[in-house]
Amino acid sequence: MSAKAARTLGWCAALALAAAVAALPLYANGYYLALGISVLYFTILATAWAMFSGPTRYISLATVAFFGIGAYTAAVLGETWSWPVVLLAAAVLGALVAAITGLSTLRLSGIYFVIFSFGLAELIRQLVIWYEVNVHKSVGRYLFSAVTQDVLYWQLLGLTALVFLTGFLLGRSRYGLALRAIGADETAASHSGIDATRIKLAVFILSAIFMSVTGAVMAPRWTYIDPSIVFNPMISFQVVIMALLGGAGSLFGPVLGVIPLVLLFEVLTATLPNHFSIVLGAIFVLIVMMLPKGVIGLVAPWSWSIPANGASSAAPVRDESGPLLRVDDASKSFGGLRAVDKVSFEVARGQIVGIIGPNGSGKTTLLNLMSGALVPASGSIRFGGTMIGGLKPYRIARLGLARTFQLVRVMSDLTVAENVAAAALFSAAPAKATSREVLDLVGLAPMHDTPAGELTYIDQKRLELARALALSPQLVLLDEWLAGLNPSELETGISLIAKLRDRGMTIIMVEHVMDAIRALCGHCIVMNAGSVIARGVPDDVLSDPTVVTAYLGGADA
Amino acid sequence: MFSVNRRTLLRLTSLTAMTAALATFTSFADAQEKIRVGYAISKTGPYAGGASITTLPNYELWVKDVNAAGGIKLGDKRLPVEVVEYDDRSSSEEAVKAIERLANQDKVDFILPPWGTGLNLAVGPTLNRLGYPHLAVTSVTDKAPELAKRWSNATFWLGTSAQISEALADLLGKLKNEGKIGTNVAMVSVADQFGIELAAAGREAFKKHGFTLAYDKTYPLGSQDLQPLLNDAIAAKPDAFIAFSYPPDTIALTEQAQLLKFNPKIFYVGVGTAFPLYKGKFAANSDGVMGIGGWNADSPLLKDYLARHKTATGKEPDRWASPITYASLQVLQQAIEKVGKVDRAAVAAEIRSGTFDTIIGKVKLKDGLLQEVWSVGQWQNGEFYGLAPTTLPGARAPVVPKSQWQ
Amino acid sequence: MLLFDIVLPGLVLGGMYALIALGLTLQYGVARVMNLSYGESLIAAAFGALSLYSGLGLSPLVALLLAVPCAAALNWLLYRFLLERLMRRGKDRGAKEIDSILVTFGMLFVIQGIMLVAFGGQYYSYSYLSIPVVVLGTTLAVNRLVALLFAAVIGTAVYLALTRTRIGTAVRAIAVDPGAARLVGIDVPSMSGFAFACGGGLVAIGGVLVSMFLTFNASMGVVFTMKALVVVIMGGVGNVMGALVAGLMLGVVETAVARLVDPGLTLAATYALFLVVLLIKPTGLFGRAAA
Repeated sequence: MSAKAARTLGWCAALALAAAVAALPLYANGYYLALGISVLYFTILATAWAMFSGPTRYISLATVAFFGIGAYTAAVLGETWSWPVVLLAAAVLGALVAAITGLSTLRLSGIYFVIFSFGLAELIRQLVIWYEVNVHKSVGRYLFSAVTQDVLYWQLLGLTALVFLTGFLLGRSRYGLALRAIGADETAASHSGIDATRIKLAVFILSAIFMSVTGAVMAPRWTYIDPSIVFNPMISFQVVIMALLGGAGSLFGPVLGVIPLVLLFEVLTATLPNHFSIVLGAIFVLIVMMLPKGVIGLVAPWSWSIPANGASSAAPVRDESGPLLRVDDASKSFGGLRAVDKVSFEVARGQIVGIIGPNGSGKTTLLNLMSGALVPASGSIRFGGTMIGGLKPYRIARLGLARTFQLVRVMSDLTVAENVAAAALFSAAPAKATSREVLDLVGLAPMHDTPAGELTYIDQKRLELARALALSPQLVLLDEWLAGLNPSELETGISLIAKLRDRGMTIIMVEHVMDAIRALCGHCIVMNAGSVIARGVPDDVLSDPTVVTAYLGGADA
Repeated sequence: MFSVNRRTLLRLTSLTAMTAALATFTSFADAQEKIRVGYAISKTGPYAGGASITTLPNYELWVKDVNAAGGIKLGDKRLPVEVVEYDDRSSSEEAVKAIERLANQDKVDFILPPWGTGLNLAVGPTLNRLGYPHLAVTSVTDKAPELAKRWSNATFWLGTSAQISEALADLLGKLKNEGKIGTNVAMVSVADQFGIELAAAGREAFKKHGFTLAYDKTYPLGSQDLQPLLNDAIAAKPDAFIAFSYPPDTIALTEQAQLLKFNPKIFYVGVGTAFPLYKGKFAANSDGVMGIGGWNADSPLLKDYLARHKTATGKEPDRWASPITYASLQVLQQAIEKVGKVDRAAVAAEIRSGTFDTIIGKVKLKDGLLQEVWSVGQWQNGEFYGLAPTTLPGARAPVVPKSQWQ
Repeated sequence: MLLFDIVLPGLVLGGMYALIALGLTLQYGVARVMNLSYGESLIAAAFGALSLYSGLGLSPLVALLLAVPCAAALNWLLYRFLLERLMRRGKDRGAKEIDSILVTFGMLFVIQGIMLVAFGGQYYSYSYLSIPVVVLGTTLAVNRLVALLFAAVIGTAVYLALTRTRIGTAVRAIAVDPGAARLVGIDVPSMSGFAFACGGGLVAIGGVLVSMFLTFNASMGVVFTMKALVVVIMGGVGNVMGALVAGLMLGVVETAVARLVDPGLTLAATYALFLVVLLIKPTGLFGRAAA
C-alpha cells in the first residue's frame, strides 16, 4: 500500500469515527450515551485544563471553581432565561472570576499555585454556601428541564469540537508558542519580549470559560444542584489526573487519558463493586510507573508548527541622535548592601563596551537594571531617548534591548528553532534576519530541530545569543558569554561578536576574559563594590593601580 | 452497502466503548426465572457514611429475607431475586450513568434508589423516563409533594423537612403549656440543604408556638470544632437546645455539651442520633437525648427486624430511615406480587394506591408520600422511641427534663 | 472571659490542624512527595487506634508506640520501592511533583479500598479522655488538649532535630537543593526516604490522636489531606515551625470568626486567611525567599 493510500485511508477512518461519534445518539442505547456524556464532559474539562496548564505547567486545582460557577449560573437563570443566554452568562461569569483570580495568583508558581488554586476553589464554595444560606435561604437549587440525553450529548460534542479547535488555533498562533516559552523559562521568555502575565492571564481565562460553560451544560442533568455536588474537589483532581495521564503537553493528550480512565472506572465498578477501589488504585500506580510521558508518549511526539512573526503594533524608538544608552546615577541595594551605587555611563551606537570587575562588584545587577529584571532604586536609564528604568523586561526587550544570562537560560523543552522563534514573536522591529539566518550566524543551523535541553553547554550559550539576536536588537547585553570556552571556541566567539559589531549592533559585555575585552572593547568600565572605579580604553584601565588592587584585593597588594 | 457501513460504524464505536465486551451477557436470560434487581449506591465518597448505615444493609437484608422465603411470588411460582450493584462514588453523574446502565445493559427488572436527596433527585428524571418505580426513601425535601406530582413513578417516605420541624415544635409547645419548659430555644443548623430546610421551618414553627429563638446560627458542613458555637448557645441559657446537625456534628455536639456540662431541659440533635453508633458511644448518657426519627421499639415486628438485621449484617440498624427503607422494599415486593408480573408501570401505580403490611405496620401512601413518619424520637433505656407525632401508635411520653450528663 | 474563651479553644483546634500537618511538612517539604494519600494514611491510623481500643482495650496513647513504627516502616517501604524510582526519573522539581501526585492518587484508592473492605463506609467514633478540664476559666477537652501538646512538643522536637543535628542539617540541605546536597556527599535517596518515613510516623500520631475526638469514616481522608496542605503551604513548605504557627493561627481565626462574626463563615475565613498570606508572602509565613 502506498503512503498516499494509507493517508487517505487514515483520513477516511478519522472521518468515519467522527461521524460515528456525532451520530451516537441515533443508534446507541441510553447507557452508551451516558458513557459518551461522561467521556465528553471530562474531555472538555481536561483539554481546557491542559490548554493553560500543559504549556505553563501551572497545575491548577481550580477547575471545579469554574465548573461550579457555570453550574450555579444555569441553576439560577436556567428556568427564566433562554438557554444560549444562560450559557453566555456562564461564560462571562467564569471569565470574570478567572480574570480577578488570575491577576492575583498567576505571579505564584509551582506548588504555591497548586495549593492556592485549590484554596481558591474552596473559598468560592464556602462563599456560595454562605450566600445561599443567608440570602437565598436554601442551599440546594432545583432545575427542572426537559433536556434529553441526546441534546445534552450534542451540546457537549459541540463544546468538545470548539475546545479542540481553540486549542489547535492557539497552538498554531504565536500565543501558543509564547505560552510554551513561558512554561519552559519564564525569565528568559520575558527577556525575549513576551508579556508573560498578560498571555498567561488570557489563556487562563480562555480555559476557565470552557469549564464554566461545561458546568452550565451539565447542570440541568442533575435536577438538583448544591455546592457539594458542583464544587466537589474530586472533579478538579480527576481532571488533573486524566490530563496528566494522557499527556498535558499536547492537544490530544488529555483525551487519551480521559477515555481509558472513564472506561477503567466503568469496568471495575461492575466487575468488582466491593474491591474496585483497590484494583483501580493499583492499576493506576502501575500506569504511572510504566508511562512516564503519559499515554501520548506511546504515540509519536507531537510537533508544533512554528508561527510566523506577528505584526507589530508599536515601532521601537529610534532616536538616532545622542547616545544609544545613558545611565545616570543608577542605584540598587539589597538589604544593607549597595550592589549598584550611583553608576553613570553612556554607550554610543556601534560601540562595544566592556564591564569588568571582581566577583560581587555589581556587574550583573547593573545588567539586570538595564534589562528590567530589577527596578533601580534611584537614578535613570535612558535607551534611545526612552526612560526604561523600571519598565517590565518584555517591554525593554521589545524596544530592542536584548540580553543573555550568566547562568545559561534556554527553554529546554523547546527546539532550537522554537527558542529563536519565541523571541521574534512580539518583536516590534521588522525582522532583519530570519531565525534560520540567526542560527547560521551562531553556527547552530544543523541543530534546528534539537530540543534545547539536549545541547552542549557551549551550544546553549550560542542559542542564547541567537535568541537575543532574533529580537533584532539595537543593543545586546552579554553576561559572561565567553566564560568557559576553550581557546579555539573563544576565538570563534570573539570573531562572532566582532561580526555583530560590524553589522551595526551595539554591545555591552560583562566579561572576565581580558583578552576578549582587549580585542573587542573600545571602552570599558571597571566596577568594584557597586561603584565605577575606572573607565577608559582597556589597556589603560587594566594597568590602573586602583583596578589592580580591586582585583587582587587587600591594600597590601 | 448500507449494512457494511453500519457494521463499520458499530465496530468503530466498540473501540471507543470497550466495556461492551465486559457487559453482562445475561440480558437475554429468561425473565421468568428470576427477578433482577439493580442499584447503585455510594460505597465511596462523602455519602458512603449515610448509605452504609441506612440503605445498603437493608438492601442486603431484604434480598436475603426474600430469597430465604423462596423469592418473590409471581403468579403461582416464586422467583428468587438476583442483584446487580454499582458504586456511584457519591457523584450525581455516576449515579445517572449507573441507572442507564442498569436499565439498558443489565436490563434489570427493578431499580432500588441511591442514598440521599441529591442523588435521588439526580436520578429522578431518568427513572421517570425509563418508567421504573422510584422509592426515594432517603430524600427529605420540602419539594417532595411537588416532586411526587411531577414524577408519577416516585414515592417519598420520610416526610418533608417542614413536617419534622413542625412535629418537634408541636411537642415542645405541649411541654411548654404543661409548664415543663420555658420559652427559650437555641437552634443551630448545618449549612446543607436538609439543615437549612429544617431550620427555616423550625424558625416559623417555634415562633408560632410562642418560643423565642435566643440563638440561631448556621455552621459550615465539615466543621471540626463546634465548641465556639456551643459556648454561645449556652450563653443564651436555653430551655431547649435544638441542633439540625449531620452525624459527625451530632456526635461532636453531644460530646462537647457533656464537657461543658451543658444540661438544657431538652437536648435535641439531628441526623445520627438514631444511629446505633450514638448509643454505643454515649451509653447511659444517651438517655433522654432527642433526635430525628424514632420507632416503636415495643413492636414485635420491629424487634424481629432488629434481630434479623443484626444477624445478617453484623450491626444494628438506625432507628429512623432503616426500618422505613426496609418497609419500602416490602411494599415493592408486595406490589409486584399483587400485579403478578414484571409490569413496572402497574407496580408503580400499585405502590401509590395499595395498602401493605410491613414491619412498620400498615402502609398506605397518600399522593405518593408516606404520611405517618416519626419525626421526633428519644433515647429511653437504650431504645430510641418515637415521641411525635403523638398520634402514631406506640408514641411514648417524653422524659423531660433530660437527666444531667454523668 | 471572652478573650480566653476564643484564644484557648482556638489554640486547641489549631493544635489539631498543626498535628495533622506535621507529617506532610516532611513528606512534601523534604522528600518532595506531594502525598495525596496523606489523609487516607491518617484515617488508617485512626482505624488502627480504634481497633486496638475496642478490641484489646489498649489506650490510644499506648497504641502510638505500636502505630508509629509500623507507619514509618510502611512509608519507608512505599518510598523505597515506589517513589524513589519516580524521584530518580523526574528531571526537575515539576516533573517529580507531577509523578508523585499521580502515584499517590493511586495509593489513595488502594488505602481507601482496603479500609472499606475492612470497616465498611459507616461512621466510627469512640470516647477516650473526653474529660473536661478548666484552664483560665475556659473548659477544654483533655483529648484535644493532648493533641495540642503533642503538636507543640513534636513540632519543637522536629524543629530542633532539623536545626541542631547533623542528620537534620542534611535533611534540610535536601529540602533546599537535592542536587547540591548530593555534591557535598549527602546520600539523597536514603535521606529522603528517611524523611518520608518520619513523615509517615507523624501522620500516624496525628491519626491516632485525632481518632480520640473526631467522628470518621473510610471516605474522609481527603478532608485531612486538604487541611494539611493548607497548613503546610501557609507555614512555608518544609518548615516545621511554620506549620505549627500556621495551624495555631488558623485555629484561632476560625474560633474568633465563629464567636465574633458568624459561625457560617469559619471555613471561608480560613481560606481567605490562607490566600491573603500567600498573596503577601508567596512562600508562606516562614518560607525562604523564592529562588
